[in-house]
Amino acid sequence: MKMTPALLIIGALLVFWASAFIIVGIPALTMKETPSEIWRPMTAEEEAGHKLYVRNGCSYCHSLFIRINDWDIGAERIAKSGDYVGQEPAILGSERTGPDLSQEGGEHPDDWHLAHFVNPRFTSPISLMPSWEFLGPVEIRQLTAYVQALGLKAADARVARQQHWKAPAVAAYAGGLDANVEWLHSQVPEVWRRMPNPYPATEASLQRGKRIYQEFCINCHGPVGDGKGPAFRYMNPPPLNFTTLRRHLVENRYIGGIFYYQIMNGITGTGMPYFKKHLESEKIWDLANYLGVSFVGYTDANIEPRGIDASYEEPWQNRYPQPGQEGAVTGK
Amino acid sequence: MFSFVKKPQSAALAFLIAGAVWFVVGALYGMVSAIHLVAPEFFSNIPFLVFGRERPIHVNTMLYGFTGTMLTGCGLYYLPALLRTRLYSEPLAWLSFLFWNLTVASGPLGFSFAYTQGREYNEYIWIADISLILAVVLLIYNLIMTIVQRTEQQLYVSVWYFVASFLWTAGNYPISNVVWHPSTGAMPGLIDSIFLWFWGHNLPGLLITPLATGAAYFVIPRITRTPLNSHTLSLAGFWFLVALYTHIGGHHVLQSPIPNWLKTVSVVDSIAMVVPVSIVVLNLWMTARQEGRRVWGDPAGRLVMGGIVWYLITCIQGPLQSLPYLQRVTHFNNWTVGHAHIAMLGFGGYIALGAMWHILPLVSGREIYSQRLVSLQFGLITFGLTAFFLVLTTAGLIQGSAWNNGETVYRVLPEIAPFMISRAASGIFILTGSLIGLYNLYLTLRQGRELQPVELLRAEDAS
Repeated sequence: MKMTPALLIIGALLVFWASAFIIVGIPALTMKETPSEIWRPMTAEEEAGHKLYVRNGCSYCHSLFIRINDWDIGAERIAKSGDYVGQEPAILGSERTGPDLSQEGGEHPDDWHLAHFVNPRFTSPISLMPSWEFLGPVEIRQLTAYVQALGLKAADARVARQQHWKAPAVAAYAGGLDANVEWLHSQVPEVWRRMPNPYPATEASLQRGKRIYQEFCINCHGPVGDGKGPAFRYMNPPPLNFTTLRRHLVENRYIGGIFYYQIMNGITGTGMPYFKKHLESEKIWDLANYLGVSFVGYTDANIEPRGIDASYEEPWQNRYPQPGQEGAVTGK
Repeated sequence: MFSFVKKPQSAALAFLIAGAVWFVVGALYGMVSAIHLVAPEFFSNIPFLVFGRERPIHVNTMLYGFTGTMLTGCGLYYLPALLRTRLYSEPLAWLSFLFWNLTVASGPLGFSFAYTQGREYNEYIWIADISLILAVVLLIYNLIMTIVQRTEQQLYVSVWYFVASFLWTAGNYPISNVVWHPSTGAMPGLIDSIFLWFWGHNLPGLLITPLATGAAYFVIPRITRTPLNSHTLSLAGFWFLVALYTHIGGHHVLQSPIPNWLKTVSVVDSIAMVVPVSIVVLNLWMTARQEGRRVWGDPAGRLVMGGIVWYLITCIQGPLQSLPYLQRVTHFNNWTVGHAHIAMLGFGGYIALGAMWHILPLVSGREIYSQRLVSLQFGLITFGLTAFFLVLTTAGLIQGSAWNNGETVYRVLPEIAPFMISRAASGIFILTGSLIGLYNLYLTLRQGRELQPVELLRAEDAS
């Protein structure tokens, strides 16, 4: 076979265009745009946010589709082709330096997003995302509208839930420190309220809890647990001041179960997210011990009711007396 | 005033110089991006230096600006040389140079202020797309007319690759950039990802690969002073490349809800890519057999052969990571970033640099200012890139395995922190290599010993 100019030019073009027809032409002719059950059109403000998302390169760190082997946020819904109808471009993304956002809508309330766009480390201390404060309030609002629409109808349901719970949370905060804590505790199921922390608050456990606090909690609840981290001024209601819990222990003894439940599930409607996807059981209990010891001056670790000690546990004496009983020895 | 555009080989030289300049620009943006992945508060809140804007500048400047521009410059020299004629029109090549570089410049000038279409590898805004297409069409015309006026009957394999890369790009680029939708450059709905990754994969596959392969086919036999091993193998490699490569863009969105038949085609043909790659590597390797001392002893030859080695590694890794089960772990993380770097800097970039140093004396009439600086550039980039590859691949495996076992993206960030630091550190070597290259190029043009016509003739006839 001898390469002549005609063979080179015509041959190269023929093979290329035949392949292009198969790979791009046939899909263009056969793929149908059928909206999925969660699809709805986007509003003008959401569209504006979508443009900002595309133009500012958010897609270089965030994907917009969930795979069958994903566990992170949004993993409840594996992407369907009908989720992307009419989006131009439906920018799927190729990298996850940050989480997938295809179901981000309604995961957090708007004020969380404001703090997060101004400086992502305000809400997520180890985030690598750049600060977008320079975009200004209008564009941040548009971006927030877009992010809150990710998931479309499914997102709307989550956003509605956020809004539903925001009102009582704000009202509780306005009622004063004590009323706020009472309301928060009343949202925890009965069985969790008298559940002491089953993990001994050893030095190692407190160290682990501290690290988790620094990686997840510190910029809302503050280095001293007073709820005055840098995100404080963006959040309504503001982050909880842990030191107010001391006079609200259940039966003046129990706090571990409440901590666990609220960390696990979050408080929808407020900036407090659920952490059950990030943290497994032991990490949450360690964090609860750290919060108790550091900011309440007391932990209910290992007090009654309790079962058989886990095999690894060394004999451990709870040295943290109940409030008002300083000096007394509780637990075993 | 513009008489320089008529000087023989001036356009080729201009492309080579521009390539070396864009390499430095691209490396600087890469460096800042790498630092931002370690310390996001470094240069915080500066609109034109946020990660989402600087990353596409880095990527596009390296692809189109460094590798694409430099390899085009090489081809503008070797195509007429192999056909024993002059370039059909030097001013027309300068026009291509202008349009091509306007597009590349629209990266740093436009993306910095969010003027981008935001689709990966298709970011340039519509007017810049048109400028690039114009550059390519003018090049095609220029090259075909050069073939028409050739005095050498036979078309050498480098000629096929060089002409074909622009023939394919002229079709590829407008389709994938959806130029008939100027405002977004995108199709509505999920099908856009198929259009997008058609070019997203063909950019390395049908632009950079043929450009680099053509240059390697030109440089290696000249350095070894042996004839090409096999004409048949070159033919097979060429036709398999275009027949298979065009089908595999789908493996970039393999886990998204695109049609299953497309996924199947893309995986099967990705695996089949082992064939053309092996053919090219084998053919060049066999050409250089017994002449290893000449290839590795010549700093330019070392860069080109190094590029072939990276090509082999890239194209063994590529088909593997298209396997659906493996991709559950390797997709969405730094594994892919490592792969992209050995493809674009390792394969495309090494060959661009090697061919540039080989061809520079022929187009400028001056001896390379310092062969030791070329060797130093090879050493710095090789150290930096090898570290990149190992570090990013490891970081990717950590991320992918952790996610696959249920850890969240946020939880895994501390685990990759040491790798992001090592990556930024190895980036310094690559940035230094690019700077040394530009310095050496500048001194060659200003101070390099002028070659006598006899020496030049002997050098040109070496083929």
